[in-house]
Amino acid sequence: MLNVTGELSGDSWGIFTFLCAALCNLPALPALNCSEELGAGQSIQQTYDLTRYLEHQLRTLAGTYLNYLGPPFNEPDFNPPRLARAERVPSATVDLDLWRGLTDNARLAANYRAYSRLLCYLRVLDGQVGTAELRHRLAHFCASLQGLVLSIGGVMSSLGYPLPAGPAGPPAPPGAHAAPNDFLKKMDDFWLLKELQTWLWRSAKDFNRLKKKVPPAVVTLRLEARGF
Amino acid sequence: MFSRWNWVACGFCLVLNICSPDASGGLVQSCGHIIPESPVLALGSNFTALCILNESCLDFGNIYASQIIWKIKNRVVPKEQYREINRTVSSVTFNDTSSLATPLTCNILADGQIEQNIYGITVTVGLAPEKPKNLSCIVHQMSRITYVMTCTWNPGRHTFLDTQFRLRYRWPEEIFPDCIPKDVNNSCTVADIQFFVNTEIWVEATNALGKAESDPLVVDPINIVKPLPPQNVSVSSGLLPTILKLSWENWISNAVMTLKFNIRYRIVDDTDWMEVPSDDTASPRTSFSVQGLRPYTEYVFSIRCMKEDGVGYWSDWSEEKTGITTEDLPSKGPPIWRIIDKSHSPACWTVHLIWKALKPFEANGVILQYEVTVRDKSSLSSPVKKYNVTSTNHTLQLPEGTYEVTLIARNSVGASPPSVLLIPASNSKAPVKNLRTLPKHDKLWVGWTAPNSYVLKYVIEWCLVSSSSDCITEWQIALGDVQGVELKGIKPFKCYLITVYPLYADGQGSGQSVKAYLKQDRPSKGPTVQTKKVGKAEAVLTWNHLTVEEQNGFIRNYTILYKTIDGNETVVTVDPSKTEYTLSSLTSDTLYTVRMMASTDNGSRSGPDFTFTTQKFGKGEIEAIVVPVCLAFLLIVLLGVLFCFNKRDLIKKHIWPIVPDPSKSNIAQWSPQVPAKHNFNSKDQMYPEGSFTDVSVVEIEADDKKSFSEQDLKPFDLLKKEKSTSEGHSSGIGGSSCMSSPRQSVSDSDEGETTQNTSSTVQYSTVVLNGYRDQTPVQVFSRSESTQPLLDSEERPEDHAGGADSPAQRQQYFRQNGGQDEINTDRPCFERTKQITHANEGDLVGFVQLQISAK
Repeated sequence: MLNVTGELSGDSWGIFTFLCAALCNLPALPALNCSEELGAGQSIQQTYDLTRYLEHQLRTLAGTYLNYLGPPFNEPDFNPPRLARAERVPSATVDLDLWRGLTDNARLAANYRAYSRLLCYLRVLDGQVGTAELRHRLAHFCASLQGLVLSIGGVMSSLGYPLPAGPAGPPAPPGAHAAPNDFLKKMDDFWLLKELQTWLWRSAKDFNRLKKKVPPAVVTLRLEARGF
Repeated sequence: MFSRWNWVACGFCLVLNICSPDASGGLVQSCGHIIPESPVLALGSNFTALCILNESCLDFGNIYASQIIWKIKNRVVPKEQYREINRTVSSVTFNDTSSLATPLTCNILADGQIEQNIYGITVTVGLAPEKPKNLSCIVHQMSRITYVMTCTWNPGRHTFLDTQFRLRYRWPEEIFPDCIPKDVNNSCTVADIQFFVNTEIWVEATNALGKAESDPLVVDPINIVKPLPPQNVSVSSGLLPTILKLSWENWISNAVMTLKFNIRYRIVDDTDWMEVPSDDTASPRTSFSVQGLRPYTEYVFSIRCMKEDGVGYWSDWSEEKTGITTEDLPSKGPPIWRIIDKSHSPACWTVHLIWKALKPFEANGVILQYEVTVRDKSSLSSPVKKYNVTSTNHTLQLPEGTYEVTLIARNSVGASPPSVLLIPASNSKAPVKNLRTLPKHDKLWVGWTAPNSYVLKYVIEWCLVSSSSDCITEWQIALGDVQGVELKGIKPFKCYLITVYPLYADGQGSGQSVKAYLKQDRPSKGPTVQTKKVGKAEAVLTWNHLTVEEQNGFIRNYTILYKTIDGNETVVTVDPSKTEYTLSSLTSDTLYTVRMMASTDNGSRSGPDFTFTTQKFGKGEIEAIVVPVCLAFLLIVLLGVLFCFNKRDLIKKHIWPIVPDPSKSNIAQWSPQVPAKHNFNSKDQMYPEGSFTDVSVVEIEADDKKSFSEQDLKPFDLLKKEKSTSEGHSSGIGGSSCMSSPRQSVSDSDEGETTQNTSSTVQYSTVVLNGYRDQTPVQVFSRSESTQPLLDSEERPEDHAGGADSPAQRQQYFRQNGGQDEINTDRPCFERTKQITHANEGDLVGFVQLQISAK
């Protein structure tokens, strides 16, 4: 076993160094206090699972919510033009190649920022919904999305990236950009859900890619134990 | 609680104020107070309380701290625990709060012995909460999208205080609302739970004495999910008879978590579950084909699921669903056997073919019919007979011979492989050896040693032996390579007759039988013993064998127990084949009680008591006594008779002396001179008493028969004459007919000789009976001189005179006399003499002497 380790020592040391760096950085990050023992790979996997879970939730939630908004928003082929006022919602419509060209850190940071802001809008939405059942499901979705923001933060921490500054607070108070009429407000909600869907779809891909890039921490730790 | 004791305390104050003589100025404040007010104390800690008196009271009532008395309830606290801090303050110290109770009061002994209450406090004693331990959580799926998390923990020791538990959970930057348990202190359920984010969960316990937190549990709730079991399970039969396809729906979307499954199944009548290998169902799916099932069998299925990676909990088992596999060909032919009845005629058999219905797993469907084919092997020309049967037996009439019977079972899919039974003309092959049985739990094992040649299979027949009904034979077939089978359905305590036949490829061996019990018991009753014959010292006992039903086992022996009423019991063991036994050495004329015990391997049972009395005498004993006694008696009698005979004269002399007949005394002198008729009267006169009624016998003697010679008698006569002359005939008795008659007879004979010689003349004598008293006395003794035959006419008048005697009678007398004459011819005179001597013994003495001398 030791011989094998010796042969693999080059790779092992590389991974080990990386791991040590990650571990050294962990205590400095308060957000990761509870996930210290979890490796980056596992955090990424968990984040990926959560993204998928959110996608799954949003699929049913969006259908219900669009029905709640009523026609034409619940029509399958309803595809309104994106209004200028909707630009405040972070858009995922960046060119895919461009997006892929970004560093992991940049993508993670973009995700982090985007979900933080989407969450703020979603919470505003939650307060306005009439039916208790829908409100409950929105609340659950919000809580999950909050979890995603935390998870992304955790992944960034575990990979040694600094968290983006000032993402937590909404850029403007919810009431500042209140829609002038009900239709436009519904249009805002429509675009919010649509953007969320796009973001989640893309995030899932991101984390899947990242997951493949970073091996699960359990394996790394096991190699480390053997090396010593 | 607190408020109540406050009220009590206030009550005390009020009483004190009202009662105090110094506090007369209406509603006044209390005279003192205790510090601390209403404390909550840890059990086992120490505690000090201060009672502080008001200055105002000191002025009025001359009361000081030294007068303070502390009380717990109504018990005075020992003075050693007091301390007077200053004039107005007294303290009390308790080393252990467990001795405290509510209320603790501060009292004062005012004006001598009057005890007054100053103040009182409530004291609460308890424990700080322990750290909750063993926190564990599980997420239950409630519906497709609803999950609740239930956490349980060990709350630790009882605190005696109101302790609040709360389940808290949080994300790194988000704290969720606490979960506060209702009615319990060891579990709480969180309604809304977020997956894929590690959540820190812990329990907080709080009471008046402190706060304790459990160790935190950090877990992603998705890893502790117990999902709902799959729903809408359905079973459908596949193309093959060994496959059933299961389909179901999952409650959880793959986006939430992927599942793995367990499938279990069993035959509907079985209780044991089988499981599909878990590797086969370790991936997400909604259907599965279970293979390797039995054809035409109903199975029950059930499924459960859990997170694919095995983290979390298995769901409950789903509802059970059943499905039936399709039919297949019967897997084997039915076991077949035969019973041959040769009772009608040996040449024509009645063959009962019997076979067993295939077991469900062999039949693989519903058996529609059986096909029986019988082939006569002894004559190749005879046609093969085929029969279609729906029952499991078939009876054939066959001539004696060798047959091959083939049986096929058929279901909707097809026919079974054939079962072949060879029926040979005779069971000439080697039988099995060393047949034996052994009970094994509730089964009876039958074992045997195989014959030397190759055996195809064995047939084991068995039947319950019964005394009342015929053996109902059951049977089973064992393969040729086994040397023992276990018989099922054998009842305990019953006798079974087991027979084993080896079947060869070309014939059949004769059956070997053994009797066996699965389990033996003691007999259900004992034999009833009786005596067949009872003697003086022995008794023959007899009994009947117990019936098979009564035996309950093999009778190993009989035991005879017999005893006298007060004697010891004697035990005799008897072979079980016997039904008779002779008890010997018994005491005669004694009452014996005998009973009999039949013993099996498992115990024995006695029959009823039987009593008998031995005889007083043995056989022939009475005869042995009686016969000699009789013989001896006879001998004695014989000897007596002989003795009497020998001594008859002497006896006669003693008991029957000769009485001389007076009527004969002197007949010789007067009879010829006096006519007879005159003599009658004279005689009457002579014997007035007339006691002689007897017949007088006169001997009539032929002269020629007289052996007495004239010479012999003459001197006698002379003597007589002399005597007669000398004595005269005064007495009349002294003489005798013998004395007189000889002379007469001599004269007669003289005359008679001539007459006899000339002609056959008969001397007659006439006998006349004496009448008795009134009757005409007849005492005639006449001598007829006539030589003529006696005529009735002549005699008639005399007859009349003589009475009613018939001529016949008279003739008898003659005959008798005649006879006597002939016998006593030797010594007629002698006899006559004797008769005379009876008359007068005294006179006779001389006569006898004379006789002797004459002789």
